[in-house]
Amino acid sequence: MNDNEKDIVIELKNAWKIFGERASEAMAAVESEGIGKAEVLEQYGAVVGIADCSFSVRRGEIFCIMGLSGSGKSTLVRHVNRLIEPTSGEIYLLGEDVMKLSPTALREMRAKRIGMVFQHMALLPHRSVRDNVAYPLEIRGESKSRRWDVSQHSLSLVGLDGFEDRFPRELSGGMQQRVGLARALASDPDVLLMDEPFSALDPLIRRQLQDQFMALSDQLHKTTLFITHDLDEAIRLGTRIAIMKDGRIVQIGTPEEIVTNPADDYVRDFVQNISKLKLVFAHTIQTPISEYKPVDGEDLSQSPRVSQDVDLDYLIDVATNTTQPTVTTDESGNDVGVVSKDRLLQGIRDGK
Amino acid sequence: MAENSQPDVTKDIPKIDLSDSIREFSGQNSDYYVDTLSQIQATGENLNLWNKAALLCGPAWCAARGLWNLFWLFTIAELVALVQLGKGIWGDLGASKMAEAEQLTKRAHDLRLEAGVAGVTGDESAESSAEIAMNLEKAAELAIQQAQAAASTWWLYLIAGIVLYVVLRYVLGKFANRLYELQYSAWRLNKKIASGFSMQRLTIALVILVILVPLTLYRFTVSSPVEWLVDVPVDNAYYTNSANALEGWFDRTAEAGKGVFDGITAGAQSVLDAMELLLVDAPWPVVAVFLVVIAWRVASIRVAIFTAASLCYIGFLGLWEASMVSIVLVGAAAFFCILIGIPLGIWFSRSEKAYAVARPVLDLMQTIPPFVYLIPIIAFFGTGRVPGILATIIFAMPPVIRLTALGLRQVPSTVVEAAVAFGATKWRILVGVELPLATPAIMTGVNQTILMSLSMVVIASLIGAKGLGQEVLTALQYVAKGQGILAGLAILFCAMMLDRIVQGRFQRQEDQ
Ligand SMILES: Nc1ncnc2c1ncn2[C@@H]1O[C@H](COP(=O)(O)OP(=O)(O)OP(=O)(O)O)[C@@H](O)[C@H]1O
Ligand SMILES: [Mg+2]
Repeated sequence: MNDNEKDIVIELKNAWKIFGERASEAMAAVESEGIGKAEVLEQYGAVVGIADCSFSVRRGEIFCIMGLSGSGKSTLVRHVNRLIEPTSGEIYLLGEDVMKLSPTALREMRAKRIGMVFQHMALLPHRSVRDNVAYPLEIRGESKSRRWDVSQHSLSLVGLDGFEDRFPRELSGGMQQRVGLARALASDPDVLLMDEPFSALDPLIRRQLQDQFMALSDQLHKTTLFITHDLDEAIRLGTRIAIMKDGRIVQIGTPEEIVTNPADDYVRDFVQNISKLKLVFAHTIQTPISEYKPVDGEDLSQSPRVSQDVDLDYLIDVATNTTQPTVTTDESGNDVGVVSKDRLLQGIRDGK
Repeated sequence: MAENSQPDVTKDIPKIDLSDSIREFSGQNSDYYVDTLSQIQATGENLNLWNKAALLCGPAWCAARGLWNLFWLFTIAELVALVQLGKGIWGDLGASKMAEAEQLTKRAHDLRLEAGVAGVTGDESAESSAEIAMNLEKAAELAIQQAQAAASTWWLYLIAGIVLYVVLRYVLGKFANRLYELQYSAWRLNKKIASGFSMQRLTIALVILVILVPLTLYRFTVSSPVEWLVDVPVDNAYYTNSANALEGWFDRTAEAGKGVFDGITAGAQSVLDAMELLLVDAPWPVVAVFLVVIAWRVASIRVAIFTAASLCYIGFLGLWEASMVSIVLVGAAAFFCILIGIPLGIWFSRSEKAYAVARPVLDLMQTIPPFVYLIPIIAFFGTGRVPGILATIIFAMPPVIRLTALGLRQVPSTVVEAAVAFGATKWRILVGVELPLATPAIMTGVNQTILMSLSMVVIASLIGAKGLGQEVLTALQYVAKGQGILAGLAILFCAMMLDRIVQGRFQRQEDQ
């Protein structure tokens, strides 16, 4: 437990943000009467940005936050580096209480340990692409040659070699988005905050960048808070996913948990059309071997054996080559469960 | 056929129901307004939706419903109509002609008496006096006829008044609902906009009307209204006393702040001297080459050519020294404007409150005729170049302040946010992000400031600043048209030269 706690990089506890002049009144009313988003808007003319959000991100995780437009994703991610002050709640980043940091310490933290990609790029229009990417390093006071080296390297990571001496306005939207990504990577931060970084890209480049990004974050051991409105992307990238609705986090879990066990109808709607083949594993659908009753002609000793951690995709491959049900094994090779063909089909349909 | 292939998809869109919100907006008589406003929104036209309340009550309706602009517009227009009516009904239309006739008759009568006396004494003038008297009597008769004719036109005024009044009410009744619909739309965005039917507003309006209408009618329709309505009944002493008090205050301040004022003078003087050394005292070929090269390096070859041409004009017409003096004056004024104006602009872009206070002051600086503040400036700083520059600064500084503030406010907040997210300090954000992005606006302000400074050289020369302004002033005194125009053109060329050089630097950056 203690180890776990040390490994937590980002943590929000009961964070609330209410926008508007009468935010504190509204907050008090929310606390005492528990009124909802609509009532807050009606009675106080205030907008609930995020409501009672708590989550923690462990070192090396890619934590995806997913939700529809206006659900408060951008607002939430801005709390982590305190671009937005919470109306109430606690925020911890890299073991420090962000709300208690002095302005200097906060700036230091932003400059050295956090990289951020913005939904709307937010490049500096009067600086070249190179100088944009080097901006975080410039703030830190790095030498020019170092800035140039690093920015060149991170531009090539996102596939923008040869564009370093252009201005952002000469680049397409997707290219600008990649400049934003390169800028966040350039400062070599511990924590990456990414607000829909790939949303403006075409599917091919997006996939390519997703792969690149996963490899990179694995290899550089960065902790990432990744915002997206695309569940496929969240599932592809996310170690864990938080689903937001109207400023609240309605479910947090691994992609498999989300897909196999949606917390409510809202989440169920999302996951309905998601392919479960790579998300659901044998151990989820297997029948324990002790409870399995072989039907006529079945002989478990003839069955193919696979690890219980393989996904459905793999199970299908195995099952098509045999008439017997598939037997699953644990790490030491003992038989633990059975997956019949009926059960497999049901698993493909329902994800459980 | 086309209808079949393209079903009307908009038909099935559910209508939004605004009746609750219109009801909240209109308060009293809400059913009527729900109906009419919905209908206006549906058809985009007024159809024949007469607003009877507006038709009957006119401006009072406008006020009660919170349409204050409309209230004033129609109050004044209806007053005009009522004045015509009043003139027609009880106005003394021939009054002025009648008075004239009376006077003529009286003079004629006097002359006749004189002629009578002269005739008795046997004077020669008797005859001519009698003749003049006769002429005067004829004129008086004519005036009486005209007065009667004028008095008989009363029905014209009456009809004009009635027609105007009816037309006004017609227009108001016809358009009231449409205007009220606009008010409703505005209210949806800003709930502070007046809504509903307010007794309080109605009372205020009635009080205004009760005071305004009778007084105005009286003033315009009665031929000799009481004195206090025509002239504000105040004692002349208020004016003289206030002026004297101010005068005393100026004298005392000038005395008390002598050190400060002298300090300012010395500061400005040193900048002026330095620039003068460079531009006025140096030999003219050196200065000319210097200016052209600067124009070329800082701006472009085109600006350099323009500069050379302008300098030729100035040189050949013998306005060299005067021009250089003016350039120094304007250069120093613009320098101070920018030096003080840009930081002020930055401050005002940050602080809404400071800007709210400063805005009327800036308006004042731009609208007060320079002659007004020349007087205190002379009181504090005497005459010469320095007060000339100060007057120029007061006049020319507002644009650079305003446009700096405006430019900084228009910097996209997303870009600033990104800089914050990367840990930039406020200072770094200002210098590295905000000011560069605001540069086009700031440079427009600088351009305005330079041009306005040059337009002040003539006025500054009134208090002893030399240069081209003085040339123009002399030309004015001797009505020397040619000289004035030549000197005026020289001012223009100096202005353009300065402006192009300063702008050129940034133009070039933008072209990159
Ligand atoms: N500065 C602000 N002032 C008032 N309300 C705000 C402000 N910023 C965000 N909101 C409100 O907070 C809510 C969440 O906005 P947010 O930008 O976080 O949504 P999002 O999930 O990022 O949506 P998208 O996917 O469209 O970017 C919205 O209802 C929005 O109206
Ligand atoms: Mg967003």
